[in-house]
Amino acid sequence: MPERFEERELVERAKLDPDAFGALYDRYFPQIYRFAYSRVRDQSLAEDVTSEVFFKALKNIKRYTYSGHPFSSWLYQITLNAVADHYRGAAGKEVELEEGASLPSTEPTVVDEVVRRDRSRRVWSAIDQLPKQQRAAMVLKFGEDRKIEEIAQILGKSSGAVKLLLHRGVERLRRELPPEFELGTP
Amino acid sequence: MEDKELDELFTDPAHQEVVDLLKASRPATPPLDPNFRLHLRAQLMAEARKTLTPRAARSWFPFTFTPRLLAPAMAAVAAGFIVVLGIEVYLANQPTSSLVAMDVSKLNNKTNVATGEPIEIPFSGPVDQAAVEVQIEPATSFTQQWVGQKLVIVPDHPLAPNTTYTVTVKSKATVPTPNASNPNTPKPAVAPTPAVVHFTTVRASVPPVVPPSFRSAGVTYGFDSRLGDSARVNILGAVWTPAGQLLVTRPGGQPGPSSLPTASATASGSGPAASTDVWLMSTMGTPIRMVAPGGNFPAAAPSGGLFSVWRQADGNHANLEVRDLQGNLISTAATVEGVPDRPAVWIGADRLAYVDGGTLRIVGLHAPLETPALKVDHGSLAASPNGQLLAVQSTGGSVVLDLTPAATQRLHDGATGFSWSAKGDLAFTIQRENGTDLYVLTEGKTSKIASSANGQTWSDLNWAPDATSLLFAARPAGGNSMSSVLMLINRDGSNPTQFGPQREYSAPQWSPAGDLVLFTRRDEAGGNAFWVATSAPSANDAAEKQALAEVDKFMQARIRGDSGTAQDELDDAGRAAYQGGASALFSPAGTQFDRYYPVTVQLTGSNPNKFLVGVRIFIKKSGVETSFFEEQLSLVLQDQRYLVDSVKASETMALGHGPTVVSVQILQAPPGQQVRVRFDADLKPDSVTSTTIQVKDANGQLVAARVSFDADKHLATVTVRLQKGTYQLVVTTGVTDINGMPLAQEYDAPLVISR
Repeated sequence: MPERFEERELVERAKLDPDAFGALYDRYFPQIYRFAYSRVRDQSLAEDVTSEVFFKALKNIKRYTYSGHPFSSWLYQITLNAVADHYRGAAGKEVELEEGASLPSTEPTVVDEVVRRDRSRRVWSAIDQLPKQQRAAMVLKFGEDRKIEEIAQILGKSSGAVKLLLHRGVERLRRELPPEFELGTP
Repeated sequence: MEDKELDELFTDPAHQEVVDLLKASRPATPPLDPNFRLHLRAQLMAEARKTLTPRAARSWFPFTFTPRLLAPAMAAVAAGFIVVLGIEVYLANQPTSSLVAMDVSKLNNKTNVATGEPIEIPFSGPVDQAAVEVQIEPATSFTQQWVGQKLVIVPDHPLAPNTTYTVTVKSKATVPTPNASNPNTPKPAVAPTPAVVHFTTVRASVPPVVPPSFRSAGVTYGFDSRLGDSARVNILGAVWTPAGQLLVTRPGGQPGPSSLPTASATASGSGPAASTDVWLMSTMGTPIRMVAPGGNFPAAAPSGGLFSVWRQADGNHANLEVRDLQGNLISTAATVEGVPDRPAVWIGADRLAYVDGGTLRIVGLHAPLETPALKVDHGSLAASPNGQLLAVQSTGGSVVLDLTPAATQRLHDGATGFSWSAKGDLAFTIQRENGTDLYVLTEGKTSKIASSANGQTWSDLNWAPDATSLLFAARPAGGNSMSSVLMLINRDGSNPTQFGPQREYSAPQWSPAGDLVLFTRRDEAGGNAFWVATSAPSANDAAEKQALAEVDKFMQARIRGDSGTAQDELDDAGRAAYQGGASALFSPAGTQFDRYYPVTVQLTGSNPNKFLVGVRIFIKKSGVETSFFEEQLSLVLQDQRYLVDSVKASETMALGHGPTVVSVQILQAPPGQQVRVRFDADLKPDSVTSTTIQVKDANGQLVAARVSFDADKHLATVTVRLQKGTYQLVVTTGVTDINGMPLAQEYDAPLVISR
């Protein structure tokens, strides 16, 4: 059975059957938690957001109608809203960078010696500093391997707008990643 | 990773390089508490069962009923057999397929299923056992057995606590092979609809916070003895094993326990021997057995049973070996060039950090690991007890590496001398021109807790096993090592006191039980000899330990049903109290006392001659813990023994309904006290207030108190200022868990302030 079709059937069952909803939870928990964490960078907050996402999904699943996009797109949408709600509740906590603002200082530290892993971490730290929409698009594309069309659906934008966000994000990383990220070197 | 969308979107080579970098690097796996995932699932499933179409509205027999199929099920009901779920399986040796019923009434929707018990599902008739297929969610490996007509599912590991499981029983899709010798072998009917059972396991038992039998604060230097004899048993290095024995490095060829030592052994401090052996040794200095011939720099695994050791190999190489304490080689973890000059560091039970040519390496015993390339040379290296963090003094600075992986935390410049406590605090020193600063890193926050006076140099930090104090060596300004002393300091930097006499002592190491301290001391030949000193607890701590030992003897006898031993722990008043019905000495018929733990221990006099010990006793029925009650035992010192003098018992409470208090601790916190109340569940923080947790005086009047709550640790702290006397702690049912479930029952406990 094609995966998408099987997912659609599972979602339909989950409208009536708690076990099917449990199966959806088991399937999507890792990516939703990961996505939530990528947005809030705090374990406790990520737990809160993830919890809220699945409870909202449970509450509203009967109203969910298949639109040709994966079920996960709907969950990502709820996640984005939950994160936004959180920051609205804690006004001022999220500092949105303006389009021209600089990424944080990348002065070399001892961790520079540490590792490819650390390099990866810092690239993703740089993504964390991108403006909100760019960041969401970059995380969904490079962290979650979503299609541009899905990202557009999740963010409520056109595919063209998502491409622009990705383009700007990549261009900004190219300009502002520190010199030790000699691009093209392992 | 191929992604045509990205290839089309980014055609500029400069952009493509960034995209390649992003494709090659994934975001770090976020930290995840596995309990959170399970807990959220349980909550969701509970909510889903309430809000989605109830299962009861669906037919348990979704396949077409025919009178032939329905009849056996109805007959089973009529016979008093509770048919909860139906499943069609093939009756053995029956001419036609029939329906058999399962009795899951003892399991379905139960919320206190034991985690270590098999799952039993009786069937109403004989079944083709090979046709029954079982699945458990969350995924659980198990063995499927049959005892008569009962299906017994034995999980390979204990089930997770407080987790909702779903057991699905269905007939296999495959058709049973017809039996050629029996033409009446049943024809398969299509009945794959699974039957489903839900149950929730009991909550995890939270380890009680019992005042430790060993408390490092207040210990004094007891008696000391030299480890081995300088003339006969020569020791070059020594470390504790978790079991309280020693792994010692001795010059090669030294005698063992069965032969007389030779007098020609080199005196300690006279320089390293050409080769060395590693021995297991008792704390009295008796060599037990050689465990690594030719070995050096042993390091005991924190999990016990194993140790690592360096052994010279062919050529200019050394092997890092892992051996058991019998001396059997388990594996060779690494090989380096040259001669190592320090032991490897265990990171948890299965990883080792070591220095190879000045560079840090980490090796996994079961799998290769990604190694951060840090230049360490002779810098300090220490792993946290949970095996997650590694403190490293590298040439570029000191850092705490999170091996999960997460962010690396940089420490202050010059941080060295790392020592991790059993509770995960990292102590380190920074040497200044005019002395030493002592720091503690707790939960990511660093604080300076003390500084040496008069230019003293502090080094050789070692946490006490209870993580409340540190031992270290203090050397006066100018480096006059002849007057170096050991110092004991509280975790918060308070009360630095000299431990032992004014001699040159250094490199202190607490034994795992805290009863001994191993250290080095300058010997007559100018070298360092290893010594062991006893640590003498304070009079109150020693008395408390003795009282708790009597309580344990008493409780274990009651659990065993050993009347003689239990009675022997009671004085006349205590015996009369039990006989008078103040509490039950043994469990009622049909039940069993399963286990107990102390909830509180309080000194109730100015002298350590009377203690009030609160114990929680769990009652098992039909193999499952179902309830508990508490007793407040008064113990009085009589003829050198503590005997139970009186008892008060609480009501019996059912397990698994709302949060419960698991321990109460009273700490002196001048100018007042702290009462620490620990719970066994996640609580709604706003339900933990001075209204729901109260302290009352002898007249029942509320005492002013401030209540704070640490949700992660399930710990409420009540700050009060109490005078000498007896008070009452009251935890009301206003305290609720995160689902709004109130405390099972109001909790009352006496608080005795004796000083």
